[in-house]
Amino acid sequence: MKTYLKSIARFICIGVFAGCALRRSEPLVGTFEPKTTEVAKGQVLYNEYCQKCHPGGEGGLGPDINWNPAPSFIKKFQVRHGLGVMPSFKKNEISKDELEAIGKYMKAYKHQKRS
Amino acid sequence: MRWLPLLIVSVTMLGFSSCYKMRKSTGGGQIKTVQARQVNAADIALPKGYKIEPVTTGLTFPSAVAFDGDGNLYVVEAGYSYGEVFNLPKLLRINKGGNTTTIATGTNNGPWTGITFYQGNFYVAEGGVLEGGKILRISMDGKITPLISNLPTMGDHHTNGPVIKDGYIYFGLGTATNSGVVGPDNALYGWLLRKNTFHDIPCADITLAGKNFGSPNVLTTAKEDTTTTGAFSPFGTSTASGQVIKGACPCTGSILRIPVSGGNPEVVAWGFRNPYGLAVSPTGKLFVTENAYDDRGSRPVWGAGDVLWEIKDGLWYGWPDFSAGKSIVNDEEFHAPGKKKLEPLLAKYPNTPPKPTAIFAVHSSSNGFDFSKNSSFGYQGEAFVAQFGDMAPEVGKVMSPVGFKIVRVNVNNGVIEDFAVNRGHKNGPASKRKSGGLERPLSVKFDPSGTSLYIVDFGIVKSTKKLQLPQAKTGMIWKITKEGL
Repeated sequence: MKTYLKSIARFICIGVFAGCALRRSEPLVGTFEPKTTEVAKGQVLYNEYCQKCHPGGEGGLGPDINWNPAPSFIKKFQVRHGLGVMPSFKKNEISKDELEAIGKYMKAYKHQKRS
Repeated sequence: MRWLPLLIVSVTMLGFSSCYKMRKSTGGGQIKTVQARQVNAADIALPKGYKIEPVTTGLTFPSAVAFDGDGNLYVVEAGYSYGEVFNLPKLLRINKGGNTTTIATGTNNGPWTGITFYQGNFYVAEGGVLEGGKILRISMDGKITPLISNLPTMGDHHTNGPVIKDGYIYFGLGTATNSGVVGPDNALYGWLLRKNTFHDIPCADITLAGKNFGSPNVLTTAKEDTTTTGAFSPFGTSTASGQVIKGACPCTGSILRIPVSGGNPEVVAWGFRNPYGLAVSPTGKLFVTENAYDDRGSRPVWGAGDVLWEIKDGLWYGWPDFSAGKSIVNDEEFHAPGKKKLEPLLAKYPNTPPKPTAIFAVHSSSNGFDFSKNSSFGYQGEAFVAQFGDMAPEVGKVMSPVGFKIVRVNVNNGVIEDFAVNRGHKNGPASKRKSGGLERPLSVKFDPSGTSLYIVDFGIVKSTKKLQLPQAKTGMIWKITKEGL
């Protein structure tokens, strides 16, 4: 039980800490440059499918997602099945490879050190 | 079992973040009190190497700027604003030091939504809320000559643009309605009570699916009175499956053109909701920003992002059954929570809508834009777009303020990046963030040298569930330059 509580506390701290970096756009933190072709592909796909509700990972019609510490398999689950009002995106809309690329882009966008 | 707490926390956090129905709208205009506008360029963040400064303040509903042949700066004040505020539209010259001189004053038929300068004259799009839209030519000494009048834009959206290309004036005509059906929301906008038979007009013959929508009858005083309305028809008029609506020109939701000297309009493209900003790229292609559907009225559409389109002659772009090239019919992506699923209004489509250049944030109100044409400024060939910002909750709920900034778009791959934003831990207009930064950018324009980007900032608009409250004399113009130029 003690281990569980520690883990929960750790993730809440990560969430709060990540909350300090909700905004990751160029004017605020510097230029984002995709380092791999997969991340570059993910950036284009993010703009096609995700940007309209989570512009730059910030809140809008949907919630902020830059802070979201959930592991990638949960995020993928949410994309495939939807949650709340978020629509689901099936494999005929976003393929497995494309979803992987979007995930890589989101991770890079969130963590890349900017100039 | 070590992953269990992680799973519980993650799902809980996702769950909380996704409780859309339980959360109140937090739009940028949802402010409790309106205070005097502060101006502080330091509250605006830009990419490294750029600086921003105020040019002039105290404008009432400014909408666009232009430069004359000598490089002098001019601004149009719209006159009319959502919220049913009527002033006379004006063309002002901005003198050195920021004071203004009135060049021309229009009639009570705003809003003046855009301006361009060409061979010694200004060309202005007059929205036309009372008399119908017009394209005006205004001479340097202020003489106003309408080149075309009676454009059908007395509804939700107006006559927009213009740009001049290859000897023609191109301009946009917005639709009367949100999604093809006149409803009680149009009474809230004001026009249905003035023009109770007005409705959308297609550019070519269309065949209806015959869907009709029940609503309170806002044209009578009886409380329980209801009525039924079909697509492309006056309020209270039903339609039948297979019914053909005759096309006409001028038509709503379209881009039209006339010769610079005036003449009959031609349809360039149609099937837009509100084609607001028009600009020609450095390679000579015509682009337009489209304000997409709202979650309001008899046929609410949810989750529709604003769009940047490249215009191809003769094409239909999808309104009222598509959003950004994707069908909205029976698609959960566009199904407003707690409301009916969307059914088609049209029985057949003129063509398959094209793929958009870029999709902006839902309710961002992505409007006037211009292309960077000078490598000294940077981002050459990219479109810089002013995002007026959401008008929630009237247009639908948002979880955070959307827009209120300048973004740039790579038109080759659709990637959108912020360019000028207010500082702070959250996005939003200066009045909400209690800062001196951007309020509601409505359009941008590069100077003739392409080294300075001018931002037209409409000013403060307080938004409530039923109306907009725009604040006079809070508009201004900003200028962005690259340091060292």
